[in-house]
Amino acid sequence: MKSRNKKECVAMLLAGGQGTRLGVLTHDVAKPAVPFGGKYRIIDFPLSNCVNSGIDTIGVLTQYQPFELNQYIGNGQPWDLDRLSGGAYVLPPYVKGKEGEWYKGTANAIYQNINFVDRFNPEYVVVLSGDHIYKMDYDKMLTAHKEKGADCTIAVINVSIEEASRFGIMNTDGDDRIFEFEEKPKQPKSTNASMGIYVFTWSVLRQYLIDDEADPNSQNDFGKNVIPKMLADGKKLYAYRFKGYWKDVGTISSLWEANMDLLNPKSGLQLNDPGWKIYARNSAEPPHFAAGSAEITGSIVSEGAMVLGSVKRSVISHSAYIGLGASIEDSVILPGAVIKAGAIVRHAIVAEGAVVGEGAKIGAKQKAPVAGEWQIAVVGPGAKIAPSMTVAPAEMVKEGK
Amino acid sequence: MNGVMGVIFASDNENKLNELTIHRTTASLPFCGRYRLIDFALSNFVNSGITQIGIVTRSNYSSLMDHIRMGRDWDLNRKNGGLSVFPPFVLNSSREMYKGKIEAIYSIQGFLRRCPEEYVLLSNSNIAMNIDFDEVMAAHLAAKADVTMLVHRAKPTTSRRLVVESEGNEVKDLYFSITPIAEEKDLGLNVYLIKKDLLLSLVEHEYARGHVDFEKDVLMKQLGSIRINSFLVKSHAAIVDDVRTYYNESMKVLDPAIREDLFYGDSIIYTKVKDSVPTIYKENACVKNSLIADGCEIDGLVENSILFRGVKVEKGAEVRNSIVMEDGKVMENSSVCYAITDKNVTVTAGRTISGYESYPVVIVKDKTV
Repeated sequence: MKSRNKKECVAMLLAGGQGTRLGVLTHDVAKPAVPFGGKYRIIDFPLSNCVNSGIDTIGVLTQYQPFELNQYIGNGQPWDLDRLSGGAYVLPPYVKGKEGEWYKGTANAIYQNINFVDRFNPEYVVVLSGDHIYKMDYDKMLTAHKEKGADCTIAVINVSIEEASRFGIMNTDGDDRIFEFEEKPKQPKSTNASMGIYVFTWSVLRQYLIDDEADPNSQNDFGKNVIPKMLADGKKLYAYRFKGYWKDVGTISSLWEANMDLLNPKSGLQLNDPGWKIYARNSAEPPHFAAGSAEITGSIVSEGAMVLGSVKRSVISHSAYIGLGASIEDSVILPGAVIKAGAIVRHAIVAEGAVVGEGAKIGAKQKAPVAGEWQIAVVGPGAKIAPSMTVAPAEMVKEGK
Repeated sequence: MNGVMGVIFASDNENKLNELTIHRTTASLPFCGRYRLIDFALSNFVNSGITQIGIVTRSNYSSLMDHIRMGRDWDLNRKNGGLSVFPPFVLNSSREMYKGKIEAIYSIQGFLRRCPEEYVLLSNSNIAMNIDFDEVMAAHLAAKADVTMLVHRAKPTTSRRLVVESEGNEVKDLYFSITPIAEEKDLGLNVYLIKKDLLLSLVEHEYARGHVDFEKDVLMKQLGSIRINSFLVKSHAAIVDDVRTYYNESMKVLDPAIREDLFYGDSIIYTKVKDSVPTIYKENACVKNSLIADGCEIDGLVENSILFRGVKVEKGAEVRNSIVMEDGKVMENSSVCYAITDKNVTVTAGRTISGYESYPVVIVKDKTV
């Protein structure tokens, strides 16, 4: 049946992640809604990538703490996704007849929305996750998928052999066809790490989702169940090699690192790119103000911020306030946070609306990560740190403490 | 606020703004790092629930159209009401563009009649303030006034400011300042609340006699026969009349108390969203007492200045007491002092630009020094 609503490709963005490893930062919001880079949220990256790649129909699958994310996406206008046909759709789990349940796994989340995808009668579906920072043209990946006549194409990035055991690793032949998939292998055979970005031929995926749902032993997960099953069945799975910046910001340490990468011109994360803008819902703040007493170097500062103190190698988000004599180094100050006079902040993340009292000390200077993790002090959203209090490195402070 | 529509005159004092309005209307004059002057009038209207808005333009309005587009950034893309932009209207009889507000209002009388609103708020576009028109309406109704005109307390520093003498709130005398006056007066802000039918009949009457000046030919003449009230705006109101007031009013915004008045009241001032990245401060950046928009890249010295979006200040460069508009580039070891550089101006390496506090030098759009 030819439908006038037909879309060649629909994106499904998995935004339901609880993000437990981000601790207090995801206490009240889903991981994709966590602020990043002064004026963005993590979800701005996949959304902007979609729009820039020419994909205008995006289902955003939410389930954990959805309110902030729902409000943030709204009608999709900031990403130019308020379309007559297509656009951004927030898809929470819903009750179907007598049944109805939470999304059990990544594959189940898409399974539960088969009807949504079918409405657009697409040839292909792109499955994305909402917890990575990267800029990528999905259209190129889709072209590769078509050229190979693949059933599934998985984006991979080359990682170091040491890191490889933390990722899902795709072992490929000379033509990049995947013959083996290993989830977090102890002895990795290659360094092609899955980026959690899949292009599927919809008719194939649709059947696999139905079969997967019927299998009582399945965990309904792409990486654990659907991909291995497709491989076992001899389906055509190809790796798509991505070169460029990509970072999973699933932990406090990696979230902090990704923010710091914005300050380093050599990191490969360059957002000032008129050809590939990252869009965000705008906070309508006036320009930021650097007072006569301010000292700001090696940092980024966003709209509405007010800086009276000293800021080095840090990210100051919109509407944040840095008081007189306060000193911020190697830290990320999220929107609306207030750092009062004389406070010292080192290697820390101070979350939205948090208040750090006069002369408080947050975190400590560090030279290198311990066992791969920076010991980042975190002041949670809305938390109040009393004057002269100390927050130790790697400590997390919740609201009301 | 139901029952009130807004009309904004996009072009006023353009001849006195010289180089700054060669390419644009007063309404689209950049202000405060990321705004255009019309953002204040539009946001005040929208924040007061006035969503039926006509904008009357006279010339060079493409920059204005580019800025407001469908009005989405002010939530004015509506089925009912929203923005109506009136391109220059050439009056049949004289084959000339309209000369004053009377002709401008006359030219859009069809639009005014078609709209269902009972009241009209007329506003010039050279004002930056943050005000709730609900209060103006309440005062207007309480006093049973025919016209309520907004005023602020200030010293008239330029000629032709409208001085308003009131008893209580009732206006008793109106005259234009000829030379600067040293004492503070109530000065008209060129914002008027009036019943639509009354406005149309007054305008029609004067138009038929070839008069053009709303203040002189309508208000001053009607004083005594209709009740004209003044409404004092206590928070900061910036009036931009010429290059010098533009510079002075811009610099005032570096004062936190004035920024508080303009931006941090209950109402938000909206503007076109450009999705610039946050500003990058590099290793040699030294920025003091300055307002910096997003998308800048600073590796030099910036003091007592305003940088618009996307400005680059390279290593060794110095920007002092200046306004650098969008996409300006101040290259290595150059110096800019008491200057207003318009959009996309490049100051090449080692050059020096300097005006005086009383006479800031203006560098025209797209020029390279």
